[in-house]
Amino acid sequence: MRAVRIALAVAQKDLRTEWRGRELLPALAQFVALALVISNFAFDLDRVSGPRIGPGVLWLVLVFAGLVAFGRTFAGEKEQGSLEAMLLTSAAPAAIFTGKAVAAGLVLLACELLLLVGMAAFLGAPVSLAVVAVVLACTVGIAALGSLFAALAAQTRARELLLPVLVLPLWFPFVVVGGRAVQSAMGGGTASGQALLVLLDLGILFWIAAALAARFVLDD
Amino acid sequence: MTDTPVTGNRTLHTLSAAAVLAMLAAGAMIFLYAPQDALQGPVQRIFYVHVSAAIAGFACFALVVGGSVAYLWRGGQRWDRLAHSAALVGLVMLTVNIFMGIVWAKPVWNWDPAQTWDAKFTTTVVLWLIYGAYLLIRRFAPPGRAQMRLAAVVGIFGFVDVPIVYESVSWWRTLHPGAVLVTAGGPAMPLPMLQTYLVTQLAVLFLTGVLVALRYRIESLREEQAQRQLAAALELAAE
Repeated sequence: MRAVRIALAVAQKDLRTEWRGRELLPALAQFVALALVISNFAFDLDRVSGPRIGPGVLWLVLVFAGLVAFGRTFAGEKEQGSLEAMLLTSAAPAAIFTGKAVAAGLVLLACELLLLVGMAAFLGAPVSLAVVAVVLACTVGIAALGSLFAALAAQTRARELLLPVLVLPLWFPFVVVGGRAVQSAMGGGTASGQALLVLLDLGILFWIAAALAARFVLDD
Repeated sequence: MTDTPVTGNRTLHTLSAAAVLAMLAAGAMIFLYAPQDALQGPVQRIFYVHVSAAIAGFACFALVVGGSVAYLWRGGQRWDRLAHSAALVGLVMLTVNIFMGIVWAKPVWNWDPAQTWDAKFTTTVVLWLIYGAYLLIRRFAPPGRAQMRLAAVVGIFGFVDVPIVYESVSWWRTLHPGAVLVTAGGPAMPLPMLQTYLVTQLAVLFLTGVLVALRYRIESLREEQAQRQLAAALELAAE
């Protein structure tokens, strides 16, 4: 119970910092908007090509927005030395990690909301409930892995360079399964329940593994 | 300090020679003993090394996981050294596997990666990239304990892709043929082919083991040398 309280407190702290500073979300919102504008020009999207190219655009923007969002969570702490302070308390590293991952996941969720609305409004991509469900299911695992490897990359030289190299291949299962599911959902079908289950299972599995590994990653 | 040759170890010398002989024997079986494939002709002979190298690569990555778990659990530099050596050799084996696969696929299916995606190829390349990142983190992390700890975490998580590569032929039905060795009715190939495959597999696994041992020895000698240099520098400073 104590761990849950700590995780919630850390998540609350991160979200409050974001709310007061309003740094990450406006920047990410602009990033998402820019990415959509560029893909609109690059692919010449319309009602016909939208459903076909839409899933690709969705995943590209989502993955790169995720890289920025997760990269910032631990980089900020590292710059101010506040992570060490948190680790000096009696709080378990797994709880601190979970809190930070939840906060980063929520920031990514806000981005996704914007991205899906933007895609429906400007690119003519058919965003149905099934698409939203798949994206939500993916976010669980993406947030766990992204936060773990952001914490890892923050301890190295050249962290901006290393984070994508580390985390993109590990997000691969989500991009492949999620990509297929979004493709079928945008093509008029419904997201298969099996794909959703696989994504959620993978997410929970990675979340537990990441929380277990947090002790080794955060411990300086 | 420099008079110790890197592989100055009699056991390793003997094992290396034995590995070369085993590979030659496997080569002889592939080209002289195994029958010609009725449909694909001589190019099918790539199969023996292609599959053996993949299995050897997987075995190396399993060794990375084993070494990494042991390092995180017990500490001890030798576990980290084992994981590091296995990752390097695993990447070499995976490169052999990918290259041979491309050479094989071109004449048989007229495969062009720019036109058709293949699940097995893509997932294998992702596996290659993951363990490439494992080596990168060793380079970028602060040297010492932190480097070993961070690399161990990457090494363990990276193994997730191995079952995906293995199952990719049954999950996505793309170009790469399905399993022929592990099927419900036993191996789907004539006995001489199976014998050739088994000999090649054993030879490649043996070679892999020797390569990991060589790499392990290089790493430990390197560390020894660094420590000796440090000790010499300290002595000089004390005088």
